[in-house]
Amino acid sequence: MRILVPVKRVVDPYAKVRPLADGSGLDTTGAKFEINPFDEIAVEEAVRRKEADPSVEIVVVSIGAGECEEQLRKALAIGADRAILVETSEAYDSPSIAAELAAVVAAESPDLVLMGKQATDDDNNQAGQMLASRLGWPQATFASKLELGAGKATVTRETDTGTETLEIPLPAVVTTDLRLNEPRYIALPGIIKARSKPLERRPAQTTPRLRTRVLKVESPPSRAAGRKVASVDELISALKEKGVL
Amino acid sequence: MQTSASTAPKGASFFSETPDRIFTVEDFSSDDRLMIETAEQFSRNEVMPHVEVIDKQEDGLMPKLIKKAGELGLCGVDAPEAHGGLGLGKNLAARILEFMSLNGSFSVTYGITSGISQVGLALFGTEEQKAKYLPSLTAGETIGAYALSEPNSGSDALSATTRAELVNGQWKLNGTKMWISNAKWADLFLVMAKIDGEKFSAFLVERDRPGVSISREEHKLGLKGSSTARLVLEDALIPEDNRLYQPGLGHHVAFNALNIGRFKLASMSMGPARDAMGLAAAYTDDRKQFGQSISNFGLIQKKLATMAALYFATEAMVYRTGALIDSAFETWGGTIDGNRKASEEYAIECSACKVFATEAEAWIVDEALQCYGGYGFTEEFPIARHYRDARVSRIYEGTNEINRIFLADRLMRWAKDGRASVTAAGDSWISELAGKALATKPTDQIRVGACSDLVMLAYAEQSARLRAAQMGGAGAAMYDLFLNVANARAAEAYQWATGESVVLPAAKSVDVAELARRVAECRGPVR
Repeated sequence: MRILVPVKRVVDPYAKVRPLADGSGLDTTGAKFEINPFDEIAVEEAVRRKEADPSVEIVVVSIGAGECEEQLRKALAIGADRAILVETSEAYDSPSIAAELAAVVAAESPDLVLMGKQATDDDNNQAGQMLASRLGWPQATFASKLELGAGKATVTRETDTGTETLEIPLPAVVTTDLRLNEPRYIALPGIIKARSKPLERRPAQTTPRLRTRVLKVESPPSRAAGRKVASVDELISALKEKGVL
Repeated sequence: MQTSASTAPKGASFFSETPDRIFTVEDFSSDDRLMIETAEQFSRNEVMPHVEVIDKQEDGLMPKLIKKAGELGLCGVDAPEAHGGLGLGKNLAARILEFMSLNGSFSVTYGITSGISQVGLALFGTEEQKAKYLPSLTAGETIGAYALSEPNSGSDALSATTRAELVNGQWKLNGTKMWISNAKWADLFLVMAKIDGEKFSAFLVERDRPGVSISREEHKLGLKGSSTARLVLEDALIPEDNRLYQPGLGHHVAFNALNIGRFKLASMSMGPARDAMGLAAAYTDDRKQFGQSISNFGLIQKKLATMAALYFATEAMVYRTGALIDSAFETWGGTIDGNRKASEEYAIECSACKVFATEAEAWIVDEALQCYGGYGFTEEFPIARHYRDARVSRIYEGTNEINRIFLADRLMRWAKDGRASVTAAGDSWISELAGKALATKPTDQIRVGACSDLVMLAYAEQSARLRAAQMGGAGAAMYDLFLNVANARAAEAYQWATGESVVLPAAKSVDVAELARRVAECRGPVR
């Protein structure tokens, strides 16, 4: 079985970031970059499958500039077998990413695409669904539990009304939720071993046709200080003043 | 940049020359950074949430943590690959050690077993000795300890009285070793003893040998979670093969392990300093007085900014030194004599790092505690533990006083032998002062010690200056603030060294508020 795991390079989700002065994007000087945490969960899950069944092959793919190699090496250090870097300097939105991933799927013929449900930088939560639709494959999103059987996957997903268990035939697209697993510490020997694992650079097969564009990035307005009231009566009259009541 | 072996600068050459470039932490590769990240995650998730039970020495906890670290490859970073280590450089091992050292008690336990207890074996052991003991130490399955000090032999280490005699093909050891870190859980002790009361030599002593026992734990001011006890040897019998290196040359083993140990101790003291900065940044942001965060106040900002500057300079000199040590091992390492030369070449830099880093740590944990006000003085908050734990850094691995005597003295002796130059590079005001002070050829301890301060400050200033130029960004502001602090310290040291007065150069103007904001943003040292 071959599992394809797309990983996105994102700014460290715990870092404080500031918009550039002209609002054209984020100031990333000195920023740390990480694998999108949801994608890291997908890599971890794939590696657990491989540990249970050594015939599993894990291919990780990233679409972006040369620096994405860092995140791919990290995925290899966790335990993926090989990596593909689709090198491009273009901007992508979710539909364009799905289109390019579909081209990678066509070349690699995986049995399962396992990816984060969303990326922590833009929180779109679309690429997985769009990829499944483009491929005409079944999909199961927000997986909190995944079992792989012969030609099928059983996925438990968390919804607003409870958990739902789906059985889908493979090949399929599964997107991961936070509760699927807790990624391991990366062992140092694994990092050394990752240096000699294959990483292939490919040009993009599609041209992004953007349906959405980022026009401006700005900090949320800082909240003005409130005021303290001494009694319920004062509160009610203050709310009336504001026209809330 | 990996300093290429053929151009490795000579020991102490910083004093008389300015290199074009130095290695800095910004030069660690992305692989290196991944390893460092693993160390940090291990500390944050496995160690820091348990510091209270660690301080109570909960049964079995520490060996369990060491084993877990070993499973991740963290217990033998710079140990030879042939014996279970990763064969990586000492500089990377030191950076990993810094991040494994966020808690002092765990730091000492880990630092000793992955460092000084192994390094003597790795550098001076026979293949058989290494094959026997290193794999389990690097795997974290066994724990090592280093036993040099005695009740009446501390700084004067060669006056040790522990005896070894060869009896019927076994070494019989008698004596008491004091302040033995890891004593409670160590499986293997590197013990210094004199053969027939004369030849100072090193021995590998397994814990379960007859005649080996451990006394009660010392009741310490800090590092309560680390084990410190006496190793008592009463007709202890060990195999003849367990003498390490040549008889009478134990001081090579002991002191070269200490040279590397001093360098690594510098990293070990940066870990708690790093954590304390993060705590101070978070607390001062959170704590409101007069209707606002106390991080808005100038005197708090001055503390945070000065911490960042001191840490920046320490980091610059320590990891510059680590790269030098790596280059020395690349040049000469491999044979026992070569290893000895490599670990000795930068002895002056190692002492400078030890003294400077431990004093920076002391200043940082003290001011971080001050940021907490009255709460800092209680055990309800984590900063008091850092304050207590940090106190010993200036004492062990050679007191800062012994290191100060050694530092300038050795530089002057090397100059006499033509091995180094005491003609100052003159690339800074401090360097000029240091050159003038050394030219007086001081002999009494007070003047020698003050000269050591000047040499150390010259090294720190040069390292910080080169790093700031290489990294750009916030480096310039941190360097400027550090320069102001260093110049003032140098003026005082110069007066002690020569009795002459000096006029301080004008202070650089620094945007303290902005630097403090960066500390808050980075939740610790500024990147």
